[in-house]
Amino acid sequence: MNDPRYTLLRRRKIRGRSMVLLLVGIVLLMPPLIGVSFVDAKIAGIPAPLIYVFGVWALLIGIAFALAGPLADSDQGAASPEADDVGS
Amino acid sequence: MLSVDILLAVCLGYVALLFAIAFFVDRRARRRPIEWLQSPVIYTLSISVYCTSWTFYGAVGSAARNGLEFVAIYLGPTLVFIGWWWLLRKLVRIGRVHRITSIADLISSRYGKSSSLAVLVTALVVTATTPYIALQLQSLTRSYQVIATDADGFATAFWIAAGLALFTILFGTRNLDANERHHGVVAAIALEAVVKLVALIAVGLFATYWVSDGFADVFADVDMEALGGDDIFGPRWITLIFLSATAIICLPRQFQVTVVENIDESHLKTASWLFPLYLLGMSIFIMPIALVGLNTMPEGANPDLFVLTIPLANQTDELALLAFLGGFSSATSMVIVAAIAVSTMVSNHIVMPIVLRLLASDRAVSGDVRDLLLTSRRISIAIILGLGFLYFWLSGGSGALASVGLIAFVGVAQFIPSLIGGLFWRDATRAGALSGLVVGFALWAYTLFLPSFEGQFLISSAVLEQGPWGIAALRPQALLGLQGVDPLVHAVVWSVGLNVLIFLIVSSVTNANLLERLQAALFVEVYRSDGGAALSVATTSAGAEDLFILAQRILGTDPARRLFDEMARDQGTTSDLPHPTDAVIARLERELSGSIGAASAHAMVQRIAGGQTVSITELIDIADETQQLIVTSRQLADKSEELERTAEALRSVNERLRSLDAQKDDFVSQVSHELRTPMTSIRSLSEILMEDEDISPEDRRRFVTIIHEESRRLTSLLNELLDMSRLETGMADLRLEPVDVSNAVVAALDAASGMTRKAGVKITTDLCEAAPPVVANDYRLRQVLTNILSNAVKYNVAEQPEIHIRTIAKDGAVWIDVIDNGGGVTREDAAVVFEKFARGSRAGLDQGAGLGLPICRAIARAMDGDVTVEFVEDGSSFFRVILVPSKEADQPAEAAGA
Repeated sequence: MNDPRYTLLRRRKIRGRSMVLLLVGIVLLMPPLIGVSFVDAKIAGIPAPLIYVFGVWALLIGIAFALAGPLADSDQGAASPEADDVGS
Repeated sequence: MLSVDILLAVCLGYVALLFAIAFFVDRRARRRPIEWLQSPVIYTLSISVYCTSWTFYGAVGSAARNGLEFVAIYLGPTLVFIGWWWLLRKLVRIGRVHRITSIADLISSRYGKSSSLAVLVTALVVTATTPYIALQLQSLTRSYQVIATDADGFATAFWIAAGLALFTILFGTRNLDANERHHGVVAAIALEAVVKLVALIAVGLFATYWVSDGFADVFADVDMEALGGDDIFGPRWITLIFLSATAIICLPRQFQVTVVENIDESHLKTASWLFPLYLLGMSIFIMPIALVGLNTMPEGANPDLFVLTIPLANQTDELALLAFLGGFSSATSMVIVAAIAVSTMVSNHIVMPIVLRLLASDRAVSGDVRDLLLTSRRISIAIILGLGFLYFWLSGGSGALASVGLIAFVGVAQFIPSLIGGLFWRDATRAGALSGLVVGFALWAYTLFLPSFEGQFLISSAVLEQGPWGIAALRPQALLGLQGVDPLVHAVVWSVGLNVLIFLIVSSVTNANLLERLQAALFVEVYRSDGGAALSVATTSAGAEDLFILAQRILGTDPARRLFDEMARDQGTTSDLPHPTDAVIARLERELSGSIGAASAHAMVQRIAGGQTVSITELIDIADETQQLIVTSRQLADKSEELERTAEALRSVNERLRSLDAQKDDFVSQVSHELRTPMTSIRSLSEILMEDEDISPEDRRRFVTIIHEESRRLTSLLNELLDMSRLETGMADLRLEPVDVSNAVVAALDAASGMTRKAGVKITTDLCEAAPPVVANDYRLRQVLTNILSNAVKYNVAEQPEIHIRTIAKDGAVWIDVIDNGGGVTREDAAVVFEKFARGSRAGLDQGAGLGLPICRAIARAMDGDVTVEFVEDGSSFFRVILVPSKEADQPAEAAGA
């Protein structure tokens, strides 16, 4: 756990995932993809566009939570500037 | 019906609670921070100041009018937060490292601590925040009027503004914290965040499950038109997501809570999912409330107030009270934080420079700058709320909440190019940021802000309709004839679009000054440096007392005392004031910038210190860049030089090869020629002998003798050639040994004695007895000397030929000079005598093949020596054999010579 290379690798990995999540969010919430949900249909009595928008929203939050979770134990590492990646 | 008295009592009680919390937390925080108040949850709750009364009341109104559109306002921030690693993290890091106090401070700091940029951004922030504050006053007034139906809107708004100003002044300007953090206020707005979330969800549950029968019932007869129609996910959707994403960063209050009030970078991690979750919680019941309101409320009811009117219409006074408190919380938290943030900017970037000028005229003026700063902040807060009230009054309290909020969003979105560019692009310059901002804001004001007054302020309705002076192309909402576009999209495209373009263009054609480049490096590479230890670069004339007085004025006596004690301790000085090194000055500047902003702190400290402090990391960062340039160009120069050298070497090698080739050709033709002459005579004589039977025996003997002579010449020629080639290629295995020069000369004279006697040459010698033994092959050395002697005999045309031989030991060499009185070779001949087959001009026709001297030189060179032609003043010349002493030369000459 204390191996700096491991920490750096994990850090880079998490940063990469966070970027991918952001891109996925943008693609899913922007036209043209979001327009697909605009159909006159209801799921469990709720209109499809609502289900889609709130569903994607909840999904993004869930993944963001999962990504932030493993970071919680390395709080100290994040606070020290040396441990940070210099490339970002 | 909820009575006004109860409402007022509850509201006052609620405000008293907020006061108490803010007061208690502030006092505790000064002694020892309360742990759970430093948690990421509180941080996240304070960020939710994003959800103002626009969200609380306005989102429902927006949903009732435009369906799903309101969600876009919360999706932008969601995207920014789940992508926190990319932007927010860097922003927070920079804010912490550089003690950034506001967005104006950040932008001015990034572009070389430019005070003009700070003033511009502050002015723009004030302009953009004013409608936003007016929006809160408007919603508070309207919600109050729902209950107190006969209340005067003007008076209500005035008293609300006054009350908010009081609260903000009390808790926002209690002290000048070095980091500009307000623990008390943060705690109060965190509580308000909980109240507004609970209230909205409570009203949502009530509307969905009490008034209606669950989600299915709510959405039972909703059509696609109610959800926003076909073009809901069109350009306006994208624009709204973009605007809300920029607002979560650029709104002064968001910047305040996210960056300035951040106490631990890792809190961002929790906020990255918790804040979007909060937004989702706020949004989830908006659509149901709107639909229930539209279905159950009477025709013409204001959808912006459904959150309050639905509980009231259903006689649930407690819920209505909670809803009112929720709206009250949303509005007040926004106004308080925005007023703090904007007043900080106004006092740091507009009031302070004026104070600085006053101070400059009389530095010794007594009085506490600190008091002045606090006073200026208090007045700023009052002015900001006054402006908000004025806008509310001017715009007549009309217009939907959402559209007013969006005006502010587009206004602050103008900071995005300079901000993002400044964080990620090192070549972004101050000129670029300034011009981009000016153009962006001018267009924002022209296409969106001024038209929002609907012809009541600066722009008349006639101008709105037909354009200024009737020029249709300049119509504010159809610039250059861009028609058929939503006014919001129109304004964003023009203002942000041109802002970005001009920022990029001007940045790329202008050059940054030193401080700008330095700040650019520090901001863009913030993960690499940590503020930087200062280095002694400039000699400063600052007195420690002057600096202390300055710090005292701004930080207060005790904090200044503590700071200077600490710095003195760090220096290890015994006196109570630290020596004003550049490190001290840089540290002081950083501490002060936490109170008054980087530009003011820089100007102030430099006024006293009178020098430019450049920290070591700053230098390294700048040097890095320059160094890379220098190294690269040097490498290029080296490379081309090397190429040049190689080409030169190739050229000379080529030249030599060509001349060698020519020499070889010459040599071959000369050898053929040399061989052909004897061969011709041998062949013709032998033919005569074979064919002619009648040759007399004498003739026969004569012919055979000639053939024999010619064959011998050929053999000796071939031997010489072979010898020559062996010597030149180093194949001749010369066994080198110490040889006594005098012995060699005597031996050579003996060998040539027959010839010399025959020619009647008189020989004299002058042999240096002390000459050390030389490195040579005894036999070959004699061959050389004999050859030169025989030349001297052969070519001497003097009547009384004489040859003088002398040896000289000199400068680590031994010379053997063979001097004849024939005058030697001419200068022209000297150039060629050592070439093969060349004969001196005095040589007769049958005087050998012309290989003698080349062989002599080859032998001498094989012994590390040489054979040269030396000239004396009278033009005559002689041959000199140069030899090197053997290693035993160190030993006494007698011993070696023995």
